[in-house]
Order: sequence, then C-alpha cells, then structure tokens
Amino acid sequence: MKRTLLAVVLIALVCSLSLTMLSGCAKKASLKDQAAMTAPAKAPAPAMAAPSATPADDAAAREKALREQQLREQAEREKAAKEAAEKAKKEAAAKLAAILKELQIPDVYFDFDKYNLKPLAQTTLKNGAPAYMKYPDYKLVVEGHCDERGTAEYNLALGQKRADEAAKFLVDLGIQKDRIKTISYGKEMPVDKGHDEAAWAKNRRAHFVVFPPVK
Amino acid sequence: MRHLKRLIVLTVVALSVLGFGAAHGKVYIDIDSPSFQRFPIAIADFKPLSPGAGPGDFPVWFADTLGRNLLVTGYFTVLDRKAFLEDPARAGITGETTRFPDWTAIGAEYLIKGGFQTDGRQLTTEFRLFDVVRGELIVGKRYVGTPDDRNRMVLQFANEVLQALTGEAGLFDTWIAFVKRSGDTSDLYTISFDGSDLRRLTNYGSLTVSPRWSPDGRRLAFTCFKDGNPDIYLRDVKSGLTEKAVSYRGVNLPGSWSRDGEQLLVTLSRDGNQEIYDMTVSSRLLRRLTREFSIDVSPVRSPDEKQIAFVSNRQGSPQIFVMDADGGNVRRLTTEGNYNTSPAWSPKGKRIAYEGSVSGRFQIFVIDAAGGTPQQLTFGGSDHESPTWSPDGRYLAYSVRGYGRSRIEIMNANGQNIRVLHEGNEGCQSPFWSPHIR
Repeated sequence: MKRTLLAVVLIALVCSLSLTMLSGCAKKASLKDQAAMTAPAKAPAPAMAAPSATPADDAAAREKALREQQLREQAEREKAAKEAAEKAKKEAAAKLAAILKELQIPDVYFDFDKYNLKPLAQTTLKNGAPAYMKYPDYKLVVEGHCDERGTAEYNLALGQKRADEAAKFLVDLGIQKDRIKTISYGKEMPVDKGHDEAAWAKNRRAHFVVFPPVK
Repeated sequence: MRHLKRLIVLTVVALSVLGFGAAHGKVYIDIDSPSFQRFPIAIADFKPLSPGAGPGDFPVWFADTLGRNLLVTGYFTVLDRKAFLEDPARAGITGETTRFPDWTAIGAEYLIKGGFQTDGRQLTTEFRLFDVVRGELIVGKRYVGTPDDRNRMVLQFANEVLQALTGEAGLFDTWIAFVKRSGDTSDLYTISFDGSDLRRLTNYGSLTVSPRWSPDGRRLAFTCFKDGNPDIYLRDVKSGLTEKAVSYRGVNLPGSWSRDGEQLLVTLSRDGNQEIYDMTVSSRLLRRLTREFSIDVSPVRSPDEKQIAFVSNRQGSPQIFVMDADGGNVRRLTTEGNYNTSPAWSPKGKRIAYEGSVSGRFQIFVIDAAGGTPQQLTFGGSDHESPTWSPDGRYLAYSVRGYGRSRIEIMNANGQNIRVLHEGNEGCQSPFWSPHIR
C-alpha cells in the first residue's frame, strides 16, 4: 500500500514540476498570477497521473497479489509454528506426565500404631527409587497418614514417623536427602472416610508427591 | 467475650446499696460428697419493677433461662412452676414480700426471684437468691446494661449462685475451644459452657488443630497447616491478631502453658524425632526434655508445675508417662490397655484424665497421678476422646465419635450428668476448656 502511494505521488510530483518550469519559462507573470497559475498547474497533476494509472494499477494489483501471497505464507508459517509449539508442549507435557508416572511411588501401608516398613512396602520403595537416579532434578514429598483411631496429636506424631521411615529408606536406597521432604497429616486426610478396618487399612499410609524442577 | 466485659463495667454490685442481707460465708452444698443430692430450687417468674417495664415475655424468659443454666451444672433440680403456691400478684421480689412457707411446702430449698425494668435502651435487672428454710437472702445483684445483655446478666447471676452455694465460681465465664472439620479443612471454634454462643475463630481454608488456652485466657496456641507445614501459631483472643511462633521442619504442636504464661511446652520433630521441649514464649528459646527414639507427645503440666504428664510409645504402645519438670525421673503411669493417650491433669492436682482403648473403642478414664487403678468414666459403642477439665475440676469435656455423628460433650467428673454441647456430622474434636475469662 505504502509503495503504491509513493509511486503515484512521485509521478504527480515529476509532472507538476516540469509543468511549472515550462510555464515559468513561457512568461513572466506577477506574483499573483504566478500564485494563480500554480493552482491550475497543480490541478492537472492528478489528471496527468491518471493516464499513467494503467501501469500503476497493474503495479498495485501485482503488489496486492504479492502481499496476499506473503500474508498467506506468513499465516501458514505462523500456523505451522503454532502447531509445532503445541505439539512440543503436548510432547513436553506427555514427557513430564511420563516422568511423573515413572517417579510416582505407590502408597505404602502400615499396621495400626506402627511405622516400620513391611516387606511389601520395602519392595515398593525399592522399585520406586531408581527412577529418582534417572531424574536427579525431581524432588519428593513423603506424606505420613494415619487412620481415624486415637488422638489427633499422637497421630500427627505417628504420621511423621511413617513419613520419616519411608524417607529414610529412600535415602538409604541412594536418593539424596535434600531432595526429600516429609510432612505428617496425622489422621486428618483419610482417603477412605469409612469407619471399618478396610477403610483404616487404606488410610494408614505413606503417600508420595513428586515435584518437577522449578524453572 | 467483648460484650461480657462491657456488662461487667455496667454491673452494679447491689448488696449494700439495696441493703440486702449479709453475705454468707457458709458453703451450702458439698458437691464433692459421694452422697450429694441435687438441690431443689424454685425460680419465680420475674416481675416488672414498674408497670409496663419491659417486653411481655421477659418474666418467663428470665426464669426459664436461669433455670436452664442452673440445670446444666448438674447440681440442681429446678421445680416446675405449675407446682408454685405463692400468688405472684401479691408477692414481691424481696424477703419481706415472700411467703417462704409457700416454697418449703413444695419442697424447694432455694428460691430465686428477680425483676426488670427498661428505660429506652437501658435494661436494669435485679436477682435475689434466698435460703427458703432459713427464710433469708443469700445473695442479691443488680445489673445495668442493654436488652442485648440480658443473657449475660443471667449467666453472671448463675455464677453468683454457684459461688454462694458451692464456694466456687460457676463456669459461665468459661469457653470450650474445639476443632471442627468441614470437608478437607478444619477450624477452631469456641462454645460457651452452657452450649450457647458458638463462634468460629479461624478460617484459613487449611487444617487447624490442637487449641491450647493460655492461663489468663487471652491467648490461644494452636497448630495450622496453612503454610504447608504443621506450625504453631499464637493468637490474641480479643484482637484476633495471630503470629506464627514455631515452624521447624516436621511436626510442631503446642502443649500446656505455664501459669505465668511465659513458658509453653511443645512437641517438635526438628531434631529428627518427636521430642518434648519447654519453650520460653518471648524468646522462643527451647529446652529439650525428652531424649528417646520414640514418639513423645502431648505434654501437660501438673498444677504445681513440678511434673509433666505426656504420651510416649517408648515401651511399644502409646502410654501415659510422668516426668519431673526438668525431664528427669520418668515413670510410666498407665499399665492397662495398649493405647492410652491425651492426658489432662486435673486443676485439683490429684488426678489425670485420659483416653484409653477398651475392646476397640476409646473411653475416658481417670487415674490417680501417683498411680493406681484407673476408673472408666464413659461406656458404649462410640469413641470418647480428648478429655479436658473445667477450671474448677468438676467437669470433663471430651469429643464423641460414632454412628456417623460427632459431638462435644460435658459430664461431671464422676461420669454422671452427660450433656451435649455441640453436635455435627463431621469431626468435632480436641476440646480444650478455657480458664475463667473476665
């Protein structure tokens, strides 16, 4: 658009300039006349430009076509880039999800009022630990939980013991100590709100929450 | 609690002004006696002190509210007004205008009369407690406030009645703090001793547990997870201003305060294991009291502050232990059962209440602080937990959980006269009784 306008203005300017020079040479006129003449002299300029509009129109059309082409290409490029970014994002998310899944240690369960790791719990932790060697930037919070029986306070202490036992076992398996945090929720966050042994057994647990590296 | 203070300012002790009878030094009711019987008391409908002196429902409202509050103490039988003989139209509210034989005839031993009068926004009330058998005034009070203060006036006088007849102030200026769950969060609430005036104290959208009143009732220590870790907070009860006080790695739990409010026992896992520390509140300096690789939790001071009861699983299962205030001389107190927690030392000093597991259910027990055979106070198929003593040592509040319901209950220290303070669908737990808040 800018370029077309420039061409038209240039042509008009050249025409009017030559006309002024011509008339200037033809007669000596008063300032007033000159001023009067300047206007009509200028007036034909667009008229002069008009006949030369045929090539200018072509140029504009070409310009337009070119521009549209460019716009299309740009849109396509942008679309492609966007798709690529989305794909990359999806892939990254999938990768992160895969890593998180790989790092997710299943809950381990405890006996009533106990915090020693049972053989099954130990196996679970042994299976879970190697992934943490593979992804050294990922961190872990071990939550200790209890069933609803007994006091809130004793259970907070017991939950801390459970979290600490699991964390200690993971450190012994080679995960750096500073990558693991522990927290006890005592009996305050049951996964099963039931009031029987089946529910209690599910609630006496250590739960593992993986934290990706903060960027 | 703010309006209570206002009322106290407005209260006029009217004994001398009105020329009421001399104060009785005698303690009328020995409620600690095993043969104690509830005392029959009559409460006459209150009278307008001048014609058209107040709303028409006031005479019955004052009598009923006072009766209900005295009833919850467990020390009175409130006589039915249908049995009253005295003609209310002819009788007054003074000793001279009372026909005492009309009251002894229906079995009353004590009688309360009173009157009221409103003047614009001002409400003036008079309360008189009579010994019916002797035909004399025991205590009389006049209160001045607004009609909104009338419940407080009744509670104040109920306190006076308790003080006069039992030698100890009533508990109408005490509150029970407790934890109430809602979904995945829990918050602190307070409720008055008579079950009225439920108030929510915290609203952190997090887990808030373990309320512990300071001995002057002005501060409340508790643990909250709002910053992602169970940290100890101190709250100024009046202003609501709350500061984070202890936030070590792991568990931070408050235990009992010292009487001067300068020291707070705490359970911390900062040294890698749950241990009990005595913390200087102002400087946060810690003195470690336990050194066992086991759970040590729930420390509570004896009233003389020479000993500390606490829970430890150092011998396998959680049991109540007692140690000296410096952490020395540890001895195991409970020997029966495999799960004994939540010790609460009686303000009278001799007994410790706790919760213990019996056939899979938790029940409240008391045991002599020096050891001995525990006495079971609660029974039945629900879990009874977290006992807390009233400041006079006459009642225990505790939580009850079972059959899909959850309650805070109060009973006499001998296990009698159970009543529900608050009931909800979800967890009401960890009640803690305040001192007198004046």
